[in-house]
Order: sequence, then C-alpha cells, then structure tokens
Amino acid sequence: MPSSQALIANPLIVLREEFDDWAILFDPDTSHSYGLNPVSVFIYKRLDGKHSFEEIVSELRSECQNAPDDAETDVQQFLDDLLAKGLAGHAAQQR
Amino acid sequence: MPPNRGDRPMRTMLTPRSVDLSITNRCNLNCTYCYHFESKGNSGRDLPTEDWLHFFEELNRCAVIDVTLAGGEPFLRKDFRELIDGIVKNKMRYSILTNGTLVIEEMAAYIASTKRCNSVQVSIDGSWPGPHDAFRGEGNFERAVAGLQRLKAQGIPMTVRVTIHRHNVDDLEAIARFLLEEIGLPSFSTNSAGYVGQCRSHSEDVQLTIEERTRAMETLLLLNEHYNGRISAAAGPLAEAKHWLEMETARRDGDESHADCGQLRSCGGVFSKMAVRADGEMVPCSQMSHIELGRINQVDLKETWQHHPELLRLRERRTISLADFEFCKDCPYIPYCRGNCPALAYTLTGEENHPSPDACLKRFLEAGGRLPERRNQPQQDCC
Repeated sequence: MPSSQALIANPLIVLREEFDDWAILFDPDTSHSYGLNPVSVFIYKRLDGKHSFEEIVSELRSECQNAPDDAETDVQQFLDDLLAKGLAGHAAQQR
Repeated sequence: MPPNRGDRPMRTMLTPRSVDLSITNRCNLNCTYCYHFESKGNSGRDLPTEDWLHFFEELNRCAVIDVTLAGGEPFLRKDFRELIDGIVKNKMRYSILTNGTLVIEEMAAYIASTKRCNSVQVSIDGSWPGPHDAFRGEGNFERAVAGLQRLKAQGIPMTVRVTIHRHNVDDLEAIARFLLEEIGLPSFSTNSAGYVGQCRSHSEDVQLTIEERTRAMETLLLLNEHYNGRISAAAGPLAEAKHWLEMETARRDGDESHADCGQLRSCGGVFSKMAVRADGEMVPCSQMSHIELGRINQVDLKETWQHHPELLRLRERRTISLADFEFCKDCPYIPYCRGNCPALAYTLTGEENHPSPDACLKRFLEAGGRLPERRNQPQQDCC
C-alpha cells in the first residue's frame, strides 16, 4: 500500500465496542469476528477515506503515551492485515 | 479444586450484544405449557412493521450483533420477510424460535437466501404424534416435522428443542433416535416444562414428578454418552443432572468453594442481552416480561441498557450471598450453588433476587429425588 493512500473501513463490517476501549469487528455475512485492542480501535476509527497513513500515525503518537519508535511498522502490519481480510479497502480516487 | 473467583467483577457491555424480540403475541397453537400466554409478555397489540424497522436502525447504531425472533409464533406475521430484510439491512444476524407448523417451502428458501440466519429452533416433543400432540394439539407433530424437513432441505442451520413433560418422559430414547438418526440433526437441546405462563395452570398434568425427574436425569445422561454429547441443556433434567452431580462430588470431597458460587450468579443474561415484548416494551428477558424498562423508539436503548434501575438491580443480584436467605439455611451445597434462574425464582417466590426453589438440589433430595450414577459426560454447552 502506498503509505499516503487513505484506507476506508469496510462499511459492511460492524465495529462493536464492548468493554473499556476494546472492540470486535463483526462480519454479519460470515459470522467471523476479530478482536481489537484499544490502539487498533483508535486506528480503525480513522479509516474514513480521509486520514492518510502518516496522519493516523501522527495522531496515534500525539494521543498515546510511550508509542514505540517503530509504531509505523505495527500500524502498517495492522492495516495490511485488515486489507487481507477484507475489513478495509482503498478509498476510491476522485477525479 | 477450582479457585474461588467470588469477588471477580462482572463487566457490563456498552450495549447489548443480542436482543430477543417477541414480534407477535399471536400463535396458531395454544400449547398447555406455553411460557408466553398467561404472562405479562402477552400484552397489548403487535407493533406495526415500521416500528420494528425503526428500532432495527437503533440496534444497528448500538452494534447489536444478533436478534432472536420469537412470539407467539413469528411466522404468523404477514410482514415477516420485511422484518428479516430490515435485520439484514442493519447488519445483524438472526435466529428464529418456532413451533414449525407454518414453515412453508418458499419461506424456508427465503431464509436460506439471506445467509444471515444463525438457526431456526423448532419445538418437537416426541418421536411420534402422541407425546407431542398431547399438549400442542392434534396434527401438529406431523406439521412440525414437515417444517423441519423443509428447513433441512434448504440447508438452514436448525435445532430442535425438546420440552420434557409427563407425556414424553418415557419416550426420550426414541426421541433421541428419531432426531439424531432418522432426521439426522447434528444435535438437539432439552429443557422441561417450567412453572411459568400457562404451565402454572396445568402443573400437575405437565410437570415431572420427583420420580420422573430422577428417571429423566438418568436416561438423558446415558443417551448423551451414547450420542457423544449431541444432546445439550441449559436447564431441565440433563443440565440439573450434570450440575448436581458436580455439586454432590464437591460436597463429598469437601471442596471449599466453586468458581462464581455462593451468590446469586446463575444467569449472566442481563450483562449481554435483553428482550422486547410484542407491544414494544423493553424487558430484561422474555421470561421476565413483568419488568418494564420503557418503549422502543421512545426511550434510548443504550441509556436504558446502561442506567435503568431495574437492570442495575438485576446485575447486583450476583453480589447477594445465598447464605443470607432463610431458604438456604443449613444447606451444604451453598459453596457450589449459583441460585438458578431468576425468572423461575420470581414465579415461585415473587422475587427475582431469590434462589429458585425449582432447581434446588437440597429440596430435590429432601423430596425423595435421587442423583443418577456419575458418568463421564462428553463436553458440551451448558449453563
């Protein structure tokens, strides 16, 4: 994924926040669900087709104390995982 | 000995994960032990389609994952497909509880086409018409089995609930053979007719005697072993047999306490799910339809879920010690007991926050009941 290209959460997937800041992503068509920790929820909520990768990482660093130096790598891995599972996709480019 | 996690807090979800919806008060049958009729749940007129559809949008905003459609008989609603469409549109899955008699081929095909159905549960109480029709009406065994076959033909996940009563307690082996071998179900569940709804008026005809209950426990344990755990129960003789044997073993071995025992902790439903009556009144559970929480589309679901005093009171139930009840005085099973179903406790004692006398091991033994021989039971869902 080009790092600056914005992702958008799959609108068919349910983000269900259950306890504290933890959540699950639920696919009603397959019944599959995926657990999200609070940082993952933070990122997922910014997959609106407007936030670039760099903006998400920047917001994460400003919001989260003690974000590791290689946070970009972790965020990238998480986003790649979402893409691979069909839980997020690339926002359509407007012409 | 398992650790005593008695002080472990139970967390409430931000919104209910599941909601049970009684979409109609009407039913084409009038089963002798129906929990719905003669209960507070059977009140008012059915909500119109648009009210349900509007509520489904709120369920979507609350990220509710699934709903269970019950009644009455849900297939009596002429707008059934519209309601299912609303559920699908709002990103939920659904289950259906039905007597099976109105499942036509077109409807089964439609349900299958949505690909959102978790299961359809059909009530079948016998291996032949006699035990089933005794309390559900003549001809309804054949109709229910035909409905089940139509669901099966469409590949819809289905299950059967067998309610054990005085007319089928000696038919259990044949029922298991019929459902698991002839019909080919992967599993089925059991309970027994409880002292709720119409059963209260027909208790002597319907509810098992102590001797019958003893016999049912022994038979179901044997059958479940024979069928490798394909029979499940959250209540009734099979659940009691397994739980009570554990309690008796713990007492005999001198265990100090079991996890989550010694308080009223049997039901965690109010921490993850709630229900709506056919007239639109939210209630904690379809079995506790007398506790009114407010009307859908008039009060906020999330606010009600998080702050309604009645829900908070029921959630506090788990902090109430069994030792505080005169009912439990001198009971040796307190460290291994969770107090059982609050809805049954209410119908029998007038209090939800009270141990249920119906599923009390001490009372069962005092009344002459016997525990079955301990067997190695296959793993399965239980309460």
